[in-house]
Amino acid sequence: MKNNINRRSFLTRTGLATAGSLFVPNFLKAFDQQSTPLNSERKLIVIQWSGGNDGLNCIVPYKNNLYYEARPTIAIDSKKVLPLTDDLGLNPKLSFLRKLYDQGEISIVNNVGYPDPDRSHFRSMDIWQTASNADEFLSSGWLGRFVDAHAATNHYAIELDDTLSLALKGDTKSGFAMSNPRQLHQTTNNELIQAIQKHHHSHEHDEKVAYLYQTLSNTVSSADYIFEKSKTYKTKQNYPKGALGKQMKQVAELIIGGCDTQVYYVNFSGFDTHVNQTNKQDRLLEEYSNALEALVNDLKKNGFWDDTLIMNFSEFGRRVAENGSRGTDHGQANNVYLMSGKIKKAGFYNTAPDLVNLSKGDLKYEVDFRNIYATVLQDWLQTNDQSILGRPFDSLNGIL
Amino acid sequence: MNNQQKLQHLYWRAGFGLPYTALRKANTTTEQAIQQLFRTAKKIKAVPSPKYDVPSKAQFERLSPKAKQEKNKVLRQLVADLNSNWVLQMVSEDSNPLVEKMALFWHGHFACESKRVDFAVNQLNILRTQGLGKFRDLVVAIAKDAAMIMYLNNQQNRKNKPNENFARELLELFTIGRGHYTEQDVKEAARAFTGWFANRFTGEFEFKERQHDVGEKVFMGKTGYFDGEDIIDIILDQKQTAVYLVTKIYRYFVNPTLDANRVEELANLFYKSNYDIGKLMQFIFESEWFYASANVGAKIKSPVEFLVGFAKVLNMKFSKKESVLFTQRALGQVLFHPPNVAGWKGGENWIDNATLMLRMNMAAIAFERAELNIQFQDQPEQKTIKQFKKLEVTASIDQLQKLFRKEKYEVQALADFLLQNSIATDGTFIEELAQYTATADDKFKFYLLGIMSLPEYQMC
Repeated sequence: MKNNINRRSFLTRTGLATAGSLFVPNFLKAFDQQSTPLNSERKLIVIQWSGGNDGLNCIVPYKNNLYYEARPTIAIDSKKVLPLTDDLGLNPKLSFLRKLYDQGEISIVNNVGYPDPDRSHFRSMDIWQTASNADEFLSSGWLGRFVDAHAATNHYAIELDDTLSLALKGDTKSGFAMSNPRQLHQTTNNELIQAIQKHHHSHEHDEKVAYLYQTLSNTVSSADYIFEKSKTYKTKQNYPKGALGKQMKQVAELIIGGCDTQVYYVNFSGFDTHVNQTNKQDRLLEEYSNALEALVNDLKKNGFWDDTLIMNFSEFGRRVAENGSRGTDHGQANNVYLMSGKIKKAGFYNTAPDLVNLSKGDLKYEVDFRNIYATVLQDWLQTNDQSILGRPFDSLNGIL
Repeated sequence: MNNQQKLQHLYWRAGFGLPYTALRKANTTTEQAIQQLFRTAKKIKAVPSPKYDVPSKAQFERLSPKAKQEKNKVLRQLVADLNSNWVLQMVSEDSNPLVEKMALFWHGHFACESKRVDFAVNQLNILRTQGLGKFRDLVVAIAKDAAMIMYLNNQQNRKNKPNENFARELLELFTIGRGHYTEQDVKEAARAFTGWFANRFTGEFEFKERQHDVGEKVFMGKTGYFDGEDIIDIILDQKQTAVYLVTKIYRYFVNPTLDANRVEELANLFYKSNYDIGKLMQFIFESEWFYASANVGAKIKSPVEFLVGFAKVLNMKFSKKESVLFTQRALGQVLFHPPNVAGWKGGENWIDNATLMLRMNMAAIAFERAELNIQFQDQPEQKTIKQFKKLEVTASIDQLQKLFRKEKYEVQALADFLLQNSIATDGTFIEELAQYTATADDKFKFYLLGIMSLPEYQMC
C-alpha cells in the first residue's frame, strides 16, 4: 500500500535514524583544548534594547526645570514619578526597578557612551557590540571574544534568537543562537541530519569540510543537551505574554535547570520613538518591568539570583529636547543598569545627567561603556578584561 | 581531474556553478569556456531598477513627520527590491555569471550602504560595468559615486574642515592596506578629496571648487598640489597596492589559504598590466595551478553563492521577492547591507550553529515549500520541519532528472555534478533513504535531497 505523504509531512521515518542517539565521537566533543575554563559559576544575562531607548524618560530628573522645558508634551509628570533620590526618579512603568532599588539589587550608571558618538543605529550598535572605538571596525563581538577565551562547550553563550548577533561572534568560535530548545532539537534531530551524522562516521571526508562536520557535531550535541536541560525545570512562575516574557522564561528554566551556559543574550526592540513616544515607550517599559520581575522572582526562589547579573543597554540615548511630533531623535549618552542579588555598591554610581552643558543638544558621556564591560568581565566573570577588550579600561569602583 | 570537474570548478569561481544544461556539452574545453565567459561579460544587461521619484529638499521638508517616515519606508523597500532584482538576475537562465561574480566581489570590497535606491543602482552599475576593467577607473568612479560619498562622509569633507573618513578607508580597505601609510598621509589625502561632493538630488558628481583645498600636500613622500586623482595615482604607483588587491582576489577566487609565490607572481602581473582586472582574472582561470585539487572545493560558499547556485539547480522561481531577502538575512548576508565598510568577513565566519543547520535543512525546506513531494512505501506520517513559511517558491527538476536518467538513476554521477569535494555515495544513507520511495522518480528526488543537504554541498 502506498502512503501519499503530503507537504505537511515531508520527512518521514526511514528506519535509519534511531531517534535521539547521537554518533558523536569523543574527540569531536572536546570543543577546544585551547580555551581556559573559568571557575566562575556566575551567569550573565545581557538585555539589549534596540532602537535607542530614551533613558531620560526612564530615570527622570523630576526636579529639573530644564527637563520639563525641553519636553513640554512628553516629560514624565513629576507627581507620577517614583522618586529614588532627591533629583532622580523612575518612570512609573518601571515599577519593579523601584523594588530592586529598595533592596539594593540595582546599580544605575548615568551618562554612559563613548567618544565621537555615532547616531546611526547600525553603526552605534556595532560599536557597542564589538566594543570598538567609533572610528574602528571590528568583526568580532566582545562576548564572542569571551567565548573564544573560555568556551568549554558550543553553547557557552546563548542568544535567544534564530540568528546570531555580532556581539556573540568570536574570532575563532561563536556563541549559539537558539530561540526554542524544542524547535532546535527538531531541526538537528530530523532524519536527514541524523543520517548525515551517521554517514560522516562511516565515511572519510575531505579535510576541507572538517570544520563543517565539527560544527555539525557540536550543534547536534548542544541541541541535545539544551533540550534535556530545558525539561529539567518547568517554572510555575507567571511570565507576561509576548516575546520578551517568553525569552526570560526560557533563560530562567535553563539557568535553574542547571544548564552550563554562562552568558545569555536577549534582544528587546522597538525603542526608536521619533513619533508619539509616550504610548510606545510605556508599553515597552511595562512589558520589560513585568518580565524582569518574573525572572528575578524565579531566580530568587530557586537560589540563583545571587549568582546572576543582568545588564541592560541600548545603542544610544535620545535628544534632550523633544521633536515636533511628540517624539525624540537619536542622541548620545544613556543609562545602563546592572542588577543582581549581589551588587556591592547599589544605587546610583554617578550623578544625574547635566542638562546645561550638552553636546549638540544631547547628553554628554561621562562613563565609557567599555568601563562597564571591563567591570562585568573582571569583577563578575573573573576573567582578564584587557585581553578581551583589546585595551585597558578601569572597572567601575566596587560596584560588583 | 577530468574535464567536467575542471569546468565545474571554473564555473563555481567565475560564476555560480556549472549550468546543468552545459553538461550535455561536456567536451567543451576550459579554454573555450573561459572565452565564452569573457565574451558574455562584454554584453551587460542592466539590473531592473526600481523607480523612485526623488522629492526635492523643499518638498521633503514640507512633509509631516509621519509622511517622512512613510517615505523612508518606501525607500527601504525599494533598496530591498533592487537587492532581489540583482539576485534574481544572477539566478536567471540568461545570467552573466562572470559579471555578477565580479560585481559581488567588488560589492564586498567597496562595501557600502545607501538609503537612496537611485544611488545604489548607480553604484551597482559601476561595479557591473567596470568590474573587469582597469582598477584605476573603477576606484576613481567609486570615489565620485554618490552612495560612497554619502556613506563615507566625503560630502562633509571641506577645505579647512576636512573629514578623513573616505581618505582613510581608501587607503586602509580599498587600495594599499593597513601599515603602508602614515596618519599624516590620511590627513593629506583627505585634503585632496575636499570638495568632492555629490548632488543630493541627482547623485551626480560635483567638484565644488570653493570647498576644495588647492594647497600643497605631502603624500607618501611626494609633494605637490594634489587632487583626489593624483592621490589615487600615487597609491597605485606603490607595488604594495597590487599585492593587497591580488591577495584579496586570490582568497576570493582561488583559495582562502594563500600561496605566497603565486600571490607575488600575480601581483607582478597585475602591476605591470596597469591594474587590468580582466587580464588578471583571465590569467588566473587559464593557469593550470588554478585547477589543482587543493584549490577545488576549498571555499565555503557565501550565502549569496549558496542561494544562487541552489536556486539554479532546482530551477527555483520565487513567488515573492521577500523570499529572496528573507533567506539572505537568515543565512547572514544581505546585499546592500554589509556589516560595515570592511565588507563581509567570509570563510568560516559564515558558519555558526544556526546558519549551518539552515543551510543543511534548506533542501528539505525548499522541497517542501515547492511541493516536490515524495511518495513512500508503507511509511507512517511523521514530523515535519515547520519553518520558513515566508519562503514561497516553486521548483522544477524535470530537466535535471532527464540528464541523469539513463537505465537507472546514477546517484554517483549526480553527486559528482553537485559536489566539489567528492564523496562515494555507494552504500551510503543517500541510497538507503531512497530505497523507501515508491517510484524511480522519487528515488531521484531523494538522491538530490540527500546530496544537497550534505556539508560538502556548502563548499565550492
